[in-house]
Amino acid sequence: MLAAMPGHSLQRNVPMTFSIHRRPSWAISENQATPEGVYLDRRRILQGFGLGMLTAATLAASAGVGRAQDADPTADLYPAKKNEAYKLDRPVTPEEINGHYNNFYEFGTAKDIAANAQNLVIRPWEIEIGGLVETPFTIAFDDLVRKIPLETRLYRHRCVEAWSMTVPWAGFPLKSLVALAKPQASAKFVRFETFLDPEMADGQNDFLYPWPYIEGVTIEEAGHDLAFIVTGAYDKPVAKQHGAPLRLHLPWKYGFKSIKSIRKISFVEERPIGLWEALQPSEYGFWANVNPEVPHPRWSQAMERVLDTGELVPTQLFNGYAAEVAGLYTGMDPATLYM
Amino acid sequence: MTPWTDRSGKFSPLKAAVLLGACLPALWLAWAAASGALASAAPVGLLGARPITEAIHQAGDWAIRFLWLSLAVTPLRRIANWPKLILVRRMLGVTALLYALMHLTLYAVDLKFDLLRIVSEIALRFYLTIGFVALAGLIALGTTSTDAAIKRLGGRNWNRLHSMVYVIGVLAAFHFFIQSKADVYEPTLMAGFFLLLMFYRLAHWRGFALTSPLVLVAIAVLAALGTAAIEYAWYGIATGVPPGRVLAANLQFSFSIRPAWWVLATGLGVTLLALVRPWFGRNEPARGRRAAGATA
Ligand code: HEM
Repeated sequence: MLAAMPGHSLQRNVPMTFSIHRRPSWAISENQATPEGVYLDRRRILQGFGLGMLTAATLAASAGVGRAQDADPTADLYPAKKNEAYKLDRPVTPEEINGHYNNFYEFGTAKDIAANAQNLVIRPWEIEIGGLVETPFTIAFDDLVRKIPLETRLYRHRCVEAWSMTVPWAGFPLKSLVALAKPQASAKFVRFETFLDPEMADGQNDFLYPWPYIEGVTIEEAGHDLAFIVTGAYDKPVAKQHGAPLRLHLPWKYGFKSIKSIRKISFVEERPIGLWEALQPSEYGFWANVNPEVPHPRWSQAMERVLDTGELVPTQLFNGYAAEVAGLYTGMDPATLYM
Repeated sequence: MTPWTDRSGKFSPLKAAVLLGACLPALWLAWAAASGALASAAPVGLLGARPITEAIHQAGDWAIRFLWLSLAVTPLRRIANWPKLILVRRMLGVTALLYALMHLTLYAVDLKFDLLRIVSEIALRFYLTIGFVALAGLIALGTTSTDAAIKRLGGRNWNRLHSMVYVIGVLAAFHFFIQSKADVYEPTLMAGFFLLLMFYRLAHWRGFALTSPLVLVAIAVLAALGTAAIEYAWYGIATGVPPGRVLAANLQFSFSIRPAWWVLATGLGVTLLALVRPWFGRNEPARGRRAAGATA
């Protein structure tokens, strides 16, 4: 069946470990048969052996259908104009690497979750904006994304697991969305929530995790220009495994703060408790600002493994964005800021 | 004596099979590692985007698996009345040691052989310290396992020294637990198998016959209950997961079959082994304490 074929993800890249833990990876549902665009680049075809060629041919034959179904109504927005203020000190991580090394527990705990994540249904997609705002409202993603001009920014991404990547995100600053929401003066925090649909997202059947994924930032952090709502990457709508159709990225914090596939944004007075904080408060705190000097309880955060180049490089305070964001935290207790 | 012949110099299919099995994971790892390095067109090899980390994990997995297999030899000899199994115990133990050494070496590779960092990390991170103690223990057992060393120590001393393996097993399992990120399914499973192996010994020492299906079923059930208890306790003590939810999940099969069931299934499988054993001709005289119970 087609489902077993798309891309190389099922044939390759899957660390083969003995595991009776989870439903087997070949148990994929029907709607995965036509992943986003059934995108076939020449290199990928050349990479494959005979079987790969056959697969490619079969896929190409069905690609028409796939495109019609999955055509992204926002594709015309990309590439978005580049914001030159955000530069990198290292090359952009290739898309194939970035797209096959993700934490998206909603679809399982494997890193190469791309194939499973194609189950994510991103249309229709509405975002509820509520809490302490002038008037709560719900807006379709396709409307929202055209309300605020998009831009492309190169950001570093540092995972709490001591690896990092660099991504050409496209989107808009979170503060533009905050302005749209018109929070009341009493709002102290912004709380984000993703979808809850265990039928679509198999990982949400895992009872260990307090679904849905929740994250939060202070209203000051939300107002910082670096806090970014991502709607695209690599000059096209953001891939499902990265948290389509819209996700947060806070480049100075550990990756788990940057919630994927946002459904609800609420302005609240009380500090939200994120999924990871609820699960392991000793290891994943609210602030989670990157600091090489403050180790995770089980490993040092001094260095990070850069995906693709495989280099081990020193981690920087606030992931290299100290000049921009350190001011947000003056006078605060350093004992909690970095975990 | 080569790794594929017995003491009389005859080819031993059992030893050869275990030797092959011991090499396979290493060969697979080498091939998987090469797949990333060789195929320049492929962005990632079989080990994924962080190949060293993945290899560290797999080597650690195999270290603990072979350690458990070496611990399975003694009870299986009794249960299946298969004394020849002793032939492969040393090989299994040494294999565990070699995978553990590979595991540490890969860790050193990951830290670019920065000795100062390796030592400070091992000293600073509790789970690494535990792993280190376990590895030191394995090295002690490995180096005292040559024929010459066994002779030098004498059987009694050797046995006393090698009962350290139980402590090493506990440390290795503990290391496995602490390094996990929230989900401790796999370490729980390994802890459950360890319980099973320990209960066989305990039963034997208390004079129960490991050939009695009743005894074996009882052990399987107890080990399974123990596994569920370990799982419950770990989530309750070490995580923010409500442990009651984990306990309840033992009775839900839609998402995952909990470790306790796999332990039970393994224990029952072993019972089956004891049941079919008489059909296979090899009627060797019962020996040791088992003899007393075997007729019961
Ligand atoms: C100096 C000794 C050791 C060091 C430095 C060490 C280091 C490590 C590291 C870095 C990890 C991965 C943690 C992570 O990614 O967060 C790990 C995992 C593990 N280690 Fe060790 N270890 C040592 C000894 C041992 C020994 C002796 C055993 C078994 C006999 C063992 C079995 C394991 C297992 C089973 C895992 C988990 C693998 C998995 O996640 O599937 N380790 N160890």
